[in-house]
Amino acid sequence: MTFFLDLLQAGLGNLAAYLAAHVLLCLLPAFYIAGAMTALIPKETVTRFLGRNTPKYISYPAAALAGSVLAVCSCTIVPLFAGIYKKGAGIGPAITFLFFAPAANILALIYTGGVIGPDLAFARFFLSLAFGIGIGLIMALIFRRDDSAHDKATNQMFAAQGTMRRASLVFLLIWIALLLVGTLKVGLLTNAYGQITFPLNGVQAFQSALDRLIPYDASRGEEGLTVQGVILIVSLILIGLTSWKGFENVHEGFNRWTWLALMLTGLTLLIAALGVKASPEGLNIAFTGKFFGVLLTGGALIFLMKALLSKDELRDWLWESWRFVKQIFPLLVAGVFVVGVIRVLIKPEWIETLAGENSLPGNLAGVLFGVFMYFPTLVEVPIANMFLTLGMHRGPLLAYLMADPELSLQSILIISAIIGRVKSWTYVGWVALFSTLAGLIYGAWVDGAGAVLAMLYLLAFLALLGGALWWVNRRNDMLAVAQKT
Amino acid sequence: MLTIKVLGSGCPNCKKVEGIVRQTIAKMGLEAEVIKVTDYAEMIQYNIMSTPGLVVNEKLVSAGKIPTEAQVTTWLADALETA
Repeated sequence: MTFFLDLLQAGLGNLAAYLAAHVLLCLLPAFYIAGAMTALIPKETVTRFLGRNTPKYISYPAAALAGSVLAVCSCTIVPLFAGIYKKGAGIGPAITFLFFAPAANILALIYTGGVIGPDLAFARFFLSLAFGIGIGLIMALIFRRDDSAHDKATNQMFAAQGTMRRASLVFLLIWIALLLVGTLKVGLLTNAYGQITFPLNGVQAFQSALDRLIPYDASRGEEGLTVQGVILIVSLILIGLTSWKGFENVHEGFNRWTWLALMLTGLTLLIAALGVKASPEGLNIAFTGKFFGVLLTGGALIFLMKALLSKDELRDWLWESWRFVKQIFPLLVAGVFVVGVIRVLIKPEWIETLAGENSLPGNLAGVLFGVFMYFPTLVEVPIANMFLTLGMHRGPLLAYLMADPELSLQSILIISAIIGRVKSWTYVGWVALFSTLAGLIYGAWVDGAGAVLAMLYLLAFLALLGGALWWVNRRNDMLAVAQKT
Repeated sequence: MLTIKVLGSGCPNCKKVEGIVRQTIAKMGLEAEVIKVTDYAEMIQYNIMSTPGLVVNEKLVSAGKIPTEAQVTTWLADALETA
């Protein structure tokens, strides 16, 4: 019974620490940014580069860009994938898009950066880009003949032109600025430029009560809960409730709750940016650079919302953001809770023997786990963080992070409905191979092999692969010619 | 009679569009058949790149966004005129 209670406590503690530490300045802006991208960027700005007549050096990067900007949700991923494959640039860019979208969409990147660290987020981004394009090219070569036989019909689907309004772009950029200000750990932002102390008795006692309730151990990567954290969790719940009332039926017009939810969000972001500490004298509040940054960007956002964005844009933006929250957040909360429970059950030694070093078996283990386990969107991140604190090497960790979102039974089924079974399993094989490789290279770099050497490994492998494919391709062509004559 | 197709896999946005369409039909007092299309192969024939899509009398009027009731009203009225 006590064992069960321990588990429950570990889960709740993890959840509380998570909500307080990561959700606010990282996830909350991320949801709004993802919503703005979906609502305010016309898809045509990117899709017009995905037509059949676009040269390869444009269509592949454009496909990757489409993956990270347009495709935060399956509503877009599957139709766009099918569209690119059947009527547009063909299987290569379609695969690039499919590979890049789950690994490097804006939500996944922000969240990885905030929870695990910017280095891993960058690695995830660049390696996904390189390998996404690589796998796309490989698939295009292997299935070249099928591809050219495709319906050559219309290009009109990709002919539409679209431009983004300047105001929307500025709006989006300021949101990103707010996110950076809130999460970057540089002196300019973390230094305090003045502070006040509220003589509140009992704050210190409250803090020690919290520490007892949620015991934490920094060396194990556990995070505790502070007084500020409690305030933030409470306001988060309030935001959730007001958003429900204000955003759920936003298509029928804005109501009082809509504005209340927005104001609460702003206020909470400001509180989260303050440095709050419990001391024997009372509650110590420090005005950090972060606070002023959030104040500035938040003010600019309010101005833009009032003055430059149309009512329709505002409505679409709020709805899309809220939809992401509804779709992802409950699963994330459940996931984080479960991670907290599992962390107690897994012995660090297991992870260390399995994937404590940057070895081939270690990386393979990471990939296999990623392929066979399916987690809802973004839950892979807290899970990866758990592995990290339990002693997993960053190399295999990246291998896992690359493989998990790309390959799940669900996505394999969907894509095989569109491109056929042979092609999808070929794709799965390549993803597994490339993820292992990504882990090995990144791990070598973490171990101090130097960026140049890591790049050399990468280039050597790609050259080998390209050479082999070119050879196979030429042989096939020659055979085809020989058969004809 | 109008034939209206809502294209979408059943995601929340698609349901929202269906709701708005049904509401508009009721308000306008029209006779219309609303069909939900969930098969991607069929959807792609309408050249859409993101769901939810809305098709009125085989003509695609909207894709990738949730239209307002006013917009839907206009589309339905247009379709009635040309029909």
